[in-house]
Parts: sequence; structure tokens; C-alpha cells
Amino acid sequence: MTPEFILGCIILIIGVIAAGFPREKTYLSRLINLEIPAFGLLLIMLAYDEMLALLTFIGVTAISTFVLVRAIERREAAE
Amino acid sequence: MMELAYPVGLIVVAAAIIIGFTALVREKDDLHRILLTDLAEVIGLVLIALVATDLAEALILPGLVVGISELLAVSEVYIAKEGLREPTGPAFRIEVMDSAPGILALVLVAYGVFLSGFTGGAIAAVGVVFYFMCRGHAEQFELIETVSGYAWAIWIAAFFIFMFLPQYWFFGVMMAGGAILVKVMAKMSLVGTMRRGGPDV
Repeated sequence: MTPEFILGCIILIIGVIAAGFPREKTYLSRLINLEIPAFGLLLIMLAYDEMLALLTFIGVTAISTFVLVRAIERREAAE
Repeated sequence: MMELAYPVGLIVVAAAIIIGFTALVREKDDLHRILLTDLAEVIGLVLIALVATDLAEALILPGLVVGISELLAVSEVYIAKEGLREPTGPAFRIEVMDSAPGILALVLVAYGVFLSGFTGGAIAAVGVVFYFMCRGHAEQFELIETVSGYAWAIWIAAFFIFMFLPQYWFFGVMMAGGAILVKVMAKMSLVGTMRRGGPDV
């Protein structure tokens, strides 16, 4: 058990709680909190030297954030 | 010591699944549910990452593809179902969106080409998406589709080289790596054209 792995597990659990039950239940706060478990996943991938998966995950996360922001933007405009 | 990591990781993932799905079950709002689906995807990827070999990487890459396409489809369905329109008024503008796109897109695309393969395609696509998003777009979609189709054919041809001419394996690797780079980049860059100011795809 490397330090990266232990830290990744702790951040993952904290992040899942933060994203599942955010203090302020708005779309944006939940979207921002979603970055925390993603960071835990990155640390766990780092612990196992999964470089390709790590880089691809960063790239795909940037695109999926864009897709989600587009849906949130339209939802907020409709209210 | 790394043998202990697998059971510990499994326990952590089990706890994360329980918390995450509890939140999902208690949620009533559809868009919040879509956001929590993204959380479930991250937890699933941790489960695969714990396998910790090349197999894990080989499984995570298609998992990411399925994840992004599923997210795209679900968010489109949500927008269509709720009948949501583009926000009116002046478009969102910040200084960095005028100055950064050129250099940032260049760096990301160059690094993506250097990485090659699926990973490189995703990294380069982020650069292209950012550029399209900030600068607008006036390209021909037919051209992108054609290039993407040829890249697909080259990718298949590379597999025939592996099968019938295994002594030229390095040439096959280079062909497959370059073709999948172009393919992924062409497809994912279409995401960048979804912003207002163009034909809505």
C-alpha cells in the first residue's frame, strides 16, 4: 500500500460523500464536488502506474464537464 | 504489501457504491441524477483500476468511451425532454477565451500527436474542442466525416497487417496509432461545435 493509494482511497470516500450529499444542493456545487472523487481515482491510477488510463481520463473529463455545463446552462436559463 | 491493497480497495469501493447509490435513490431531480451517474462512472472506474495490470488500462479506455457517449446521449435526451432552449442574451465572454485558444490548442494537439493512439486522440480533441468553443467554427462537417472514415479504414488495415504480415508489426502499430488518433480527435471535436453560434448538432 503506497501513500498515493491510501490518499486516493480517503479522497475517494470524502469526494463521494461531498458529491452525493453537497451542503448547498445546486447543480454547480455538485458538478464542482464531482472533481473530488475524480481526483481520488487519479491517485489510485497513479499508484498502479496506469499512465494511459490516467491521461485519457483527464482528457475525457474535460469534455464531459463541457457537456454537463451545457445542460446546466440551459436548465438555469429556463428557470 | 501491495497484496493488501486489493481487499482494502474493494472495501473502499463498496462503501463508495453504497453512499453514491443512496444519494442516487433519494434524488428526485433529473439533472441531479445525471450528475450522480457521472459519480457512479468514477466509482466503476476505480473498481477496474484496482485490477492493476495492463488489463485494467485496456478495460478503462473503452469504459471512458462508453461513459462519454452515454453522458452525451443522456444529456441530449434530457434537453429534448424538458424542451430547454439556448439561453438568450449576449454570449458569455471572458478575456482568456479570446487570448488563450490559439496557444493552448496548439500545445494540447502537439502533445496529443506525440502520445498517439486513443489517449492522444482524447488530449488533442480537448484542444480542438476548446478552440471551437472560444473562436467559433465554420468548417465543413462532410470533410471531418470523410477523414474520420478513412482513419477507420486505415485502423482496420493495420489489424490485417498484424494478422497476415506479422513481421511488419511496427508499421502496423504506427498505422493503428495514427489512425485512431485522427478518428477519436475528429469525432470528439464535434462536441466543441455544440455551443451557440452554429448549427446545433
